[in-house]
Amino acid sequence: MAAPPAAAEVLERWYKLVLLLVRHTPIYSPPVASRAFAYMATAVYETMAAISPGWQSLAGQLNGLKEPPYKEKPQGLDLAHALHGALEASVSSFFVRTGPSGQRALKSTVRKVSADLAGSVSDDVAARSEDFGRSVATRILEWSDGDGGAVIENMGFPMSYKPKEGKAHWVPTSTIGLQQAPLLPNWGNNRTFAMPDGGACPIKGPPAYSEEKDSPFYKEALEVYDTVKNLTPEQRAIARFWSDDPMLSPTPPGHWISIAMQVAKQRNMTVEECADMLLRVSVAVADGFIACWRVKFEVDLLRPVTYIKRVIDPKWNSPLITPPFPEYPSGHSTQSGAAAATLTTLLGDNIAFEDATHARDGLPSRSFKNFWEAANEAGISRLYGGIHYRAAIDHGLEQGRCVGTYAANLKTRV
Amino acid sequence: MRHVSFFLTSMLLGSTAFAAEPTVKFSLEPDAAGITHKYSGEYLFTVGGGVAAFDCNDDFKPDVFLAGGEGASQFYVNRSKKDGALRFEKHESGAELASATGAYPIDIDTDGKMDLVILRVGENVVMKGEGNCKFSRANEQWNFDGGDAWSTAYAATWEKGANFPTIAIGNYVDRAREDDPWGSCTDNWLHRPNGGEKSFAKPLALKPSYCPLSILFTDWNRSGTPSLRMSNDREYYEGGQEQLWKVEPGKEPVRYTDKEGWRYLRIWGMGIADYDLNSDGYPDYVLSSMADNKLQALEEVPKDAKPEKPGYVDVAFKRGVTAHRPYMGDDLRPSTGWHTAIEDVNNDGLADIFIAKGNVAEMPDFAMHDPKNMLMQGEDGKFVEAGGTSGIGTSKISRGAALMDFNLDGLVDAMVVNRWENVEVFRNVSTDAGNWIEFALREEGANRDAIGAWIEVKVDGRVMAREAISGGGHVSGQLGFWHFGLGPSDKAEVRITWPHGEAGPWAQVAANGFYLIEKGRDPSAITVPE
Repeated sequence: MAAPPAAAEVLERWYKLVLLLVRHTPIYSPPVASRAFAYMATAVYETMAAISPGWQSLAGQLNGLKEPPYKEKPQGLDLAHALHGALEASVSSFFVRTGPSGQRALKSTVRKVSADLAGSVSDDVAARSEDFGRSVATRILEWSDGDGGAVIENMGFPMSYKPKEGKAHWVPTSTIGLQQAPLLPNWGNNRTFAMPDGGACPIKGPPAYSEEKDSPFYKEALEVYDTVKNLTPEQRAIARFWSDDPMLSPTPPGHWISIAMQVAKQRNMTVEECADMLLRVSVAVADGFIACWRVKFEVDLLRPVTYIKRVIDPKWNSPLITPPFPEYPSGHSTQSGAAAATLTTLLGDNIAFEDATHARDGLPSRSFKNFWEAANEAGISRLYGGIHYRAAIDHGLEQGRCVGTYAANLKTRV
Repeated sequence: MRHVSFFLTSMLLGSTAFAAEPTVKFSLEPDAAGITHKYSGEYLFTVGGGVAAFDCNDDFKPDVFLAGGEGASQFYVNRSKKDGALRFEKHESGAELASATGAYPIDIDTDGKMDLVILRVGENVVMKGEGNCKFSRANEQWNFDGGDAWSTAYAATWEKGANFPTIAIGNYVDRAREDDPWGSCTDNWLHRPNGGEKSFAKPLALKPSYCPLSILFTDWNRSGTPSLRMSNDREYYEGGQEQLWKVEPGKEPVRYTDKEGWRYLRIWGMGIADYDLNSDGYPDYVLSSMADNKLQALEEVPKDAKPEKPGYVDVAFKRGVTAHRPYMGDDLRPSTGWHTAIEDVNNDGLADIFIAKGNVAEMPDFAMHDPKNMLMQGEDGKFVEAGGTSGIGTSKISRGAALMDFNLDGLVDAMVVNRWENVEVFRNVSTDAGNWIEFALREEGANRDAIGAWIEVKVDGRVMAREAISGGGHVSGQLGFWHFGLGPSDKAEVRITWPHGEAGPWAQVAANGFYLIEKGRDPSAITVPE
């Protein structure tokens, strides 16, 4: 008979499921996914911090979380069962809207993890531990309400939208009916997690719109056009690897959660270290999307495909699917920068890793010398994919570096 | 006409098409015209719910096999009077198998009696038509390996020189993968003839499989050799996309690649319908999906040669075919599309698009009240929703359908299979419809019904064209008369390009009649019984 799973394995099994559910739940666009990851990681962290000695609650550090999600630290609980309870409650709530396969998989995971944990501790301890985990998750879910991101309608696309007037502004680029309005135009006003608010990491703007051939804006668009025209196989592979399309991948936030899980395994992290890391990455990425979206809808810049068709080559198309929202800054760049900043602060700048996030989709893994190398590659992949100008990438990464600092500075150890 | 642009075609249509404002009326037949049937079952019957419509008692009126899902399938014989109300009568056919997801009619052994391929969760079964709507299992007789999978798609063709059909079966998710079904699409199968025998060889696995919910043999470039189009459900595949397979006689099937012009597209593929909707001489494809539907047209049609690149552009948005959310009621969440069919339902000479809609089960981010679409093509080539005004736009959890002339009045009716709710039968009662014409095709020897033929109908210099197919839709197949609307014209010319490319002559026929077109002979009028 196999040994009951340790707490780290419980965490890993649930996160594997979560990464699949993010892909297979239609409302899980990247910002929505980032939010769910952040609250789930907080529930996991708070459960762990209440049980494992040497860790402290994030109450007072995360916006709106004024008190710890329990009255007092519990005694004599089993961390594996408690995490199982916390994740069951969190995942069931965040993925209540997933389809029949997701619901079936969720029930199966609950049943199988419960069965595998059975007998590892007394029934009383098991029940009290799971109940505690569930109660922490319930408090976190209550905290999540009212942050501005709880209700997603129409898959995140407003029912109607009037584009701003002016040639510089975003216009729909998709022929999908729903996507004639941009995704989640108010996401930038959501409550942030660790950073003070969505405007806490301002960046300078993109070059001014111009169709003059010697203008910086034209040159940036031409760079996209020329790069795409002369894509090397390696550049094409990079674009594809970081494409992270919603509903076809775990999304960009899920990609970084996947990296974190892979690094945890590679470094034999304890469950406590892993929970700490997941919390920081998730919060950084979630704050990154809020910060990025705030700027996106202030600047409201047109996508390369619109400009290039208008000014350079009417037959041009981007190799990647152009996302249905304004261009500046690049969301993947901001959130990758945020993830890299916080991971580098936590683990150091020499953590080499192999990223096999897309192995099941048949994409070969890629190796990185450190987190920033991965983040920079994620950023430039958007230029190779023809969906971002260079300024959006450079400034997005810069914004992410600032955002990630807040998550990195969270005090978790007593 | 082949290279006339869409806009030029529209100008031509302006002088010939029938109604300025396309109208159509359907009557929901009381008591479902005598049919009591639901597509039942839970997870394993989330998809499926097909109907096979074809005449099996030689009265020209389509009879129907209805897949029952977890429960038994049922057979109903068409007792409608000509031009009258629709009426069906339950009939013990011998094909009442449980666990059926859908079915398609095809005369496999060319005996003039339609056979049936029943797709199932479990073993697929071929049923030999014995006449008078009786069927008997023929897996063993025809060496058909029904396998053991979750089968969700079918297509058939007759490869050049073959005396038995080639049947492709699309398979879905690995049923055993409960906690991680994603990425578990099981192999699709290609059942080819066993040499010159009247039986099938061991099926060939078509890998990779990306969980198709609709497949279709279609001669996309009119080369005379159909390819196999697969519309795949992105919910379950990993690393997948839509597929087009080259299926050349005597050769292993191979997929078209991006280097050959195939375009990367990933959708929740649910159904395929084809028709030449832009008068370029090649089929265009409606692909039903969730929160979106596609209308694909060839991007490049060379002036003096057949297309070599299967590169398609999506013109659904431009032509008003996205049908991405309900068009009436207060439930405006995104739609879920299933069976799709292209028929001219008001006989104005412009083919229209039907899409059956319905939530997967109770997915809260998708419409629960999701009316069916009846997208009417206008003279400008754009489609306008008439589901509500026509009466066909009821909201059920709909799946498969058949759009056929069930009462032989020249108007296309509809039968829709619903999950957990009774079948709906819609009689087309349009009073201001145009003239029409319907054809049955016949070849000597194998492929009696000329599957794969290209049918062209010319009215006032304008050509309408469609393929004679066996496959597509959502696990629903129909075989019988091929219908065309003629607008006000009292005559038309018809030409058949027979399977594998031999074009017959243009022949003139009078409107409002049924015709048999036999290869090498002039069309002959059919008198249908009352």
